[in-house]
Amino acid sequence: MPPALIRDLSDTSGYWAAVWTMCAMPDVHVIADAPVGCFNLVATAVPDYTDAIPHIENMTPATITEQEVGGKGTSDKVRWTYENLRASGALNGKQLIVISTAESEMIGADLSSVVTTLGEGTRFYWSNSLSEDEWSGRDRVLRWLWDQFGAPRAADVQPAPGTVNIIGPTYGCFNSPSDLEEVKRLIVGAGGRINLVYPMEATLADTPRLAAAQVNVVMYREFGAGLASMLGQPMLYAPFGLRETTSFVRELGQLLGTMDQAEAFIAAEKRTTLRAVWDLWRGPQGDWFGTTDVGIVAGRSYAEGLARYLGDELGMKIAFVSARPRRPNDPDNDQIRQMLHRRAPAFVFGSINEKIYLSEAGAKFARFFMAAFPGPTVRRAVGTPFMGYRGAVYVVQEIVNGLYDTLFNFLPVDQAYSMMRSGPPKIESAPGNLPWSLEAKAVLDEALEKLPYIPRISASRQMQMHVETLARERALKEITPDLVREALANAGM
Amino acid sequence: MEPIALSAEQPQGHTCKLHPQSMCPAFGSLRILSRIEGSHPVMATDTGCLYGLTFVTHFYGARKSILAPTLGSAELYSGEIVEGTRAAIEAAAREPGCRLVPVVSLCVAETAGMPEELLPRRVGDAEVVLVRVPAYAIHSHPEAKDVALEALLRRLGDREGPREDRTVVVVGEVFPADQLAIDAVLRRMGVEATVALPGRSIDDLRRAGRAAALAPLHPFYKGVTRLYREWGASVAGGAPVGISGTYAWLKSIGALLNLDPALVDQVAQEERAKAEAVLAAKSLKGARVLVTGYEGTELAYARLLVEAGAEVPYVSTSIGADPLALPDELWLKARGTQEVVYRKALEEDMAALDRYAPDFVLGTTPFAAAAKERGIPAMYFTNQLASRPFFLSGGMAATIGFVAETLERSNRYREMLAFFAE
Repeated sequence: MPPALIRDLSDTSGYWAAVWTMCAMPDVHVIADAPVGCFNLVATAVPDYTDAIPHIENMTPATITEQEVGGKGTSDKVRWTYENLRASGALNGKQLIVISTAESEMIGADLSSVVTTLGEGTRFYWSNSLSEDEWSGRDRVLRWLWDQFGAPRAADVQPAPGTVNIIGPTYGCFNSPSDLEEVKRLIVGAGGRINLVYPMEATLADTPRLAAAQVNVVMYREFGAGLASMLGQPMLYAPFGLRETTSFVRELGQLLGTMDQAEAFIAAEKRTTLRAVWDLWRGPQGDWFGTTDVGIVAGRSYAEGLARYLGDELGMKIAFVSARPRRPNDPDNDQIRQMLHRRAPAFVFGSINEKIYLSEAGAKFARFFMAAFPGPTVRRAVGTPFMGYRGAVYVVQEIVNGLYDTLFNFLPVDQAYSMMRSGPPKIESAPGNLPWSLEAKAVLDEALEKLPYIPRISASRQMQMHVETLARERALKEITPDLVREALANAGM
Repeated sequence: MEPIALSAEQPQGHTCKLHPQSMCPAFGSLRILSRIEGSHPVMATDTGCLYGLTFVTHFYGARKSILAPTLGSAELYSGEIVEGTRAAIEAAAREPGCRLVPVVSLCVAETAGMPEELLPRRVGDAEVVLVRVPAYAIHSHPEAKDVALEALLRRLGDREGPREDRTVVVVGEVFPADQLAIDAVLRRMGVEATVALPGRSIDDLRRAGRAAALAPLHPFYKGVTRLYREWGASVAGGAPVGISGTYAWLKSIGALLNLDPALVDQVAQEERAKAEAVLAAKSLKGARVLVTGYEGTELAYARLLVEAGAEVPYVSTSIGADPLALPDELWLKARGTQEVVYRKALEEDMAALDRYAPDFVLGTTPFAAAAKERGIPAMYFTNQLASRPFFLSGGMAATIGFVAETLERSNRYREMLAFFAE
């Protein structure tokens, strides 16, 4: 079997999972057993653009260099880092955790005994970065945190009626501020009270209080269920779309004993928040859904949630779905790239990888929506959820606005402006059409076939005009296949 | 490649270097390698490293797909790294128009030591070039640019064709208009052609091997400089920065290429006069600025600001001390700069912020954020300065104008702080 290749890696490692989960809590300080690059990328260069923060402040690298890699080992460097951090006061009131990286694991740097000689209670976390991806990594970190800092101190904590935990997000979870806001709103709407949002809005010292909730809502199917099952209380996943969100609110009402409140919330939402979906469905916009296709590449919750909502509920054609982490039959990036090069759907939800593949293909008629990392994006406004009822409205609004934009781009614009000419086109336009050879027509048809449905009519008219203008510029009497190919190339098709 | 000091070796009275400030060093090489037309990089490393570097390359380098062998514990322990890398090279070479496959080997011990002789030198139309950039040995991303460029030139530089006696290779990532301006001034002095590296074209790399002279505009191109010295080419130090820098640089190029001294002097004087006119029109007098990026170009920017009348008491950079940087360091220290820090850490910049109470900070993102938390105007050096004209009089005007405008907006920084401090 040929070795497996990676094209544009979509999922990062267990080391990133550990940093992005632990450092979300302000009373943690992490020392990463890492060279400078592993520190910069995780703490600054990437979270600048995934989480829109200047940098992660509660993290310090041991900055291993060739001395350590070349046989000296990293424990002296970790100890030096610890001593200086302590002297600087940065560790006051903090739980120190030392995390391994792929680089330190490769040279076998197991620091579990070293940490016992550092400050009292210092822990070592083996991030297993050569084997674990960010999803299983986050799941294991959350279980480890409960095991180390929660369970031993939670013996007396009893679930309080009506309370709900939200497990997830961490740093590096796409669009999480908006989704979290919406999930909180749904929980309160169903009659619940938020106990803890873990880890993002919690402290490490809060960890035992995870046991105080009656229900655990897990934000992502990618990770977090492990911790929820250790806690033992009933668990629900955060929902997407109309039906799933309605079931979620109902089930939560049943679990909390607040059924009446949950039903009243659903009824009120149909009259208010969700009215937009009903209006668009009844209006002309809804008619487009069935003829418009969508490709989806995203974290598993997003991929499955969007496919159910857009496909099963709105009736859009789902061209392909690929979840992160990839499920057994999901296309990999190589296959996604080939599909997008061959024929891009009208809408693509994805990461910067899909955006690059669309650029490579010159697929300017496909509209791209950021729906996953990697890729730089600011998603800090809380009004743009994909989850829940508000997510159902936001996503459909984005799609319809995307359709409007596509249509706009195909309306004719006077060539005097679009071609930067000072007057009308200089070519004498003879009235009537020029004759097209059958082969030439076939070349045009083949190109149009690759376009999404909506712009096809306008594009067909526009391309015909481009080709005939070109022919007249050259005083040709008939349209040839080569001329069509040239015009298509000029138009980037 | 000096090791970073351990506590016992740390000089007394100096700040402890806990948080080194550099991009991942390897990024510097990927930026250069991914931007070349027809180049399809292969990265050999673990997934965490691959994710981060692909992320920043797709943001700051090129819209280009990046291939890598799968390197988890299974592949590492079974020794399939070379096999996987070869497969990735084959796949990269099949990309349409592929002429170059740079193989970037990184920190993971097994890939850092990948034996070059086990990789193909050529696949189809593509040259395969190994670029070793383990972060733990390179220390900063500017220096990794040098490593990549040296590797490319060693392989691709044309040493067979006739030497071009009046062609200058101008090395350094600069604003595109700067390249044109430098080329135009040099041609007026009698230079026949310039080759700007790093750039988009493989053919430029080939032609660069025939050039008679090298002008590294930035002080971290030490490997490329060494290579040109091996090749017997002349090397012009410094850069056309500010009044004195521009004049000296033009004269030195003229001397190295044996250009007509009268013509060279005439052009150099004209450029000096233009630069003086820029300063006469706009001064930064009275402004105290800290220049603390991690691009390796900070000393030259500090020099320009000092010529424009600003006080620059502190300059720090990610690169190591090097003879190429020494002239600027001495020039600055003779004009009031108290500290020039190489291989800097956040702690050193923070101490300078306490010590010097600046009016404006050009820094890394963590440091610029810290300055803004005190209501001090601050910007990310990389995004704001490195992407603007800088050289010759046109670059001077753009850079000084930018700093002056920011200073005029100072109250916004105080007002925003006041709002969030309430």
